Amino acid sequence: MRGLRDFLGRWSGGLVLLALWLALTLMTPRFLTPSNLLNVALQSSILAVVALGMTLTIISGGIDLSVGSVVAFTGALTAGLMVRNSWPVGGAILVGLAAGLAMGLLNGALVIYGRLVPFIATLSTMAIARGLTLVYTRGYPISGLPEAFTFLGTGDVLGIPMPVLVMMAVAAGISLLLNHTPWGLHLYAVGGGEDLAWLSGVRVKRIKGLVYGMSGLLAGLGGILLTARLWSAQPNVGIGLELEAIAASVLGGASLSGGYGSVRGTLVGALVMGTVGNGLNLLEVPSYHQQIIKGLIFILAVGLDQLLKTGPLSARSIPMRRRGAS
Amino acid sequence: MDHPSAERMRGLEQSAKVMLGFGALEARERWTRVGLVLTLAAFCAVLSLLSPRFLTSSNLINVVRQASINGIIAVGMTLVILTGGIDLSVGSVLAFTGVVAASLVTAGQPSALAMVSALILGSLLGMLNGAAVAYLRIPPFIATLGMMTVARGLALSYTQGRPITGFPESFRWLGAGWIGPLPVPILVMALVFGLGGFLLSYTVFGERLLAIGNNPAAARATGIPLRQHLVLTYGLSGFLAALAGLILIGRLDSAPPTLGVGYEFDAIAAVVIGGTRLSGGEGWLGGTLIGALIIGVLNNGINLLNIPSFYEQVFKGGVIAAALLLHRALRRE
Repeated sequence: MRGLRDFLGRWSGGLVLLALWLALTLMTPRFLTPSNLLNVALQSSILAVVALGMTLTIISGGIDLSVGSVVAFTGALTAGLMVRNSWPVGGAILVGLAAGLAMGLLNGALVIYGRLVPFIATLSTMAIARGLTLVYTRGYPISGLPEAFTFLGTGDVLGIPMPVLVMMAVAAGISLLLNHTPWGLHLYAVGGGEDLAWLSGVRVKRIKGLVYGMSGLLAGLGGILLTARLWSAQPNVGIGLELEAIAASVLGGASLSGGYGSVRGTLVGALVMGTVGNGLNLLEVPSYHQQIIKGLIFILAVGLDQLLKTGPLSARSIPMRRRGAS
Repeated sequence: MDHPSAERMRGLEQSAKVMLGFGALEARERWTRVGLVLTLAAFCAVLSLLSPRFLTSSNLINVVRQASINGIIAVGMTLVILTGGIDLSVGSVLAFTGVVAASLVTAGQPSALAMVSALILGSLLGMLNGAAVAYLRIPPFIATLGMMTVARGLALSYTQGRPITGFPESFRWLGAGWIGPLPVPILVMALVFGLGGFLLSYTVFGERLLAIGNNPAAARATGIPLRQHLVLTYGLSGFLAALAGLILIGRLDSAPPTLGVGYEFDAIAAVVIGGTRLSGGEGWLGGTLIGALIIGVLNNGINLLNIPSFYEQVFKGGVIAAALLLHRALRRE
């Protein structure tokens, strides 16, 4: 019984994904075609890049609500530098990534030195980054991007779209970091129990600062990819993206109380979210209803995950406290 | 991460508190409350220097009236946060219950029926949140996030994205009416804070909420019906969101489905600025009132000083973060 539960708990994300694919294949002939599957991969890859950063913050016992706004801000800044100030593509991308990193480090500083709860700290920077985006764009989209830049979002190498390639590189890098370096071990230790990690000599502050910095950096990368894919920077892009990223992480087995989470799981979670979006479009569900269905799937998936992981219902393990909240 | 000696100091403080029967901690707590009132006073002072229109009675009434909607939601949020949870769905619940009430009243139903239906619907949606937390054991953050999306989708599909307008006078009274020299929303807010304070300080339910937030396992061990209390608390939050929605659409004379986007941010900010601990178990409803007023004054200042709307969010996010940092600094030392 325990073995079965372990198996289910470990693979619940994958099982949900399989069930979804099966259901969609039965419901519409247009789902299981090579071009549509490529589309799903494309839709999921940008979310996956952002969600991997989110997973790092969740493993550390925190959360980063600012990613959606950081995506919008870095996208607008990169596009603005190229279009308004005719910067070269490489320079603009570097500045965009640096801006994302800076927003992330600001989050880290607020959490470490300001001792704010991550939830509140990143909620504030979410408002600030969105506001900065509106100030910078004056509420208008920035378009007319150079070809070399939009290639990042729409081009492909050997038939594999660029965003998918970037996502694979990011996933490989973070997987290496988490599983094969002392840093990864220390990160899980911090999420498992900060006090104990500190007493064992883990540099807790440095780890947490880096985690938020990386989340900001990856959100910046996501913003650049998204801008390139949409051929323009929209000031309202990325609203609600933090929810999808959190959902992808949690579906992938990350625990909001910290200490758990994996690259593989988050990729599966992002694929689930991408599949749901793709399926609802294929089935021509009106956009208002899509929101309701996505919300319900979100709750049910997490509820099911909780059930599979912890077994029969008992009030003892009602998750009451958010980690890092005290 | 605290140094172990800081940890020990806090332990000493705890024992001092026990020996002296409230001591150093109480005094510090009192100081942070004084600090909170001073912060509000400082905001008001700065604004009255910057704009001569701030310190007029009509503007001050306006500030409180605008703060009342956030204040009412924040009372429910305080209760939920005291149990160690959070309610992100308030803005969407406000919108869905608002458009339902609006559609009933424009279809010719009596205003009272429309209002009561909205309040019941809000309570039910809130109780669903509570049930998801208490029975399905979904983290409050996730459960209410899902409800936020679902209720917003319901509001949008119910209205097909179009606002509902043109309400009878009796329906608008809650948001736009006056009793004597005071607007109805201010009186409703005063009533809600009064009842909320009574609930927390003078009833068994309030005592138990704090116990649940402090230590859920211990609370359960002492026989507190944890699940029922959670369902009830989230239900209250939904009820108050619906009430705030009725005030808002009464004042606007219109119920767009996009109502209340981002209201959860203001409500949480009011609660946290007011000194309620986000991990639950410790809080002060009076602080929430002051927090709501601080945010109201901030909004009013943005209007009075003609700060462009693009800067509004940068400004607000920055000021709220600064206020919280200051609060933390005052509290620690």
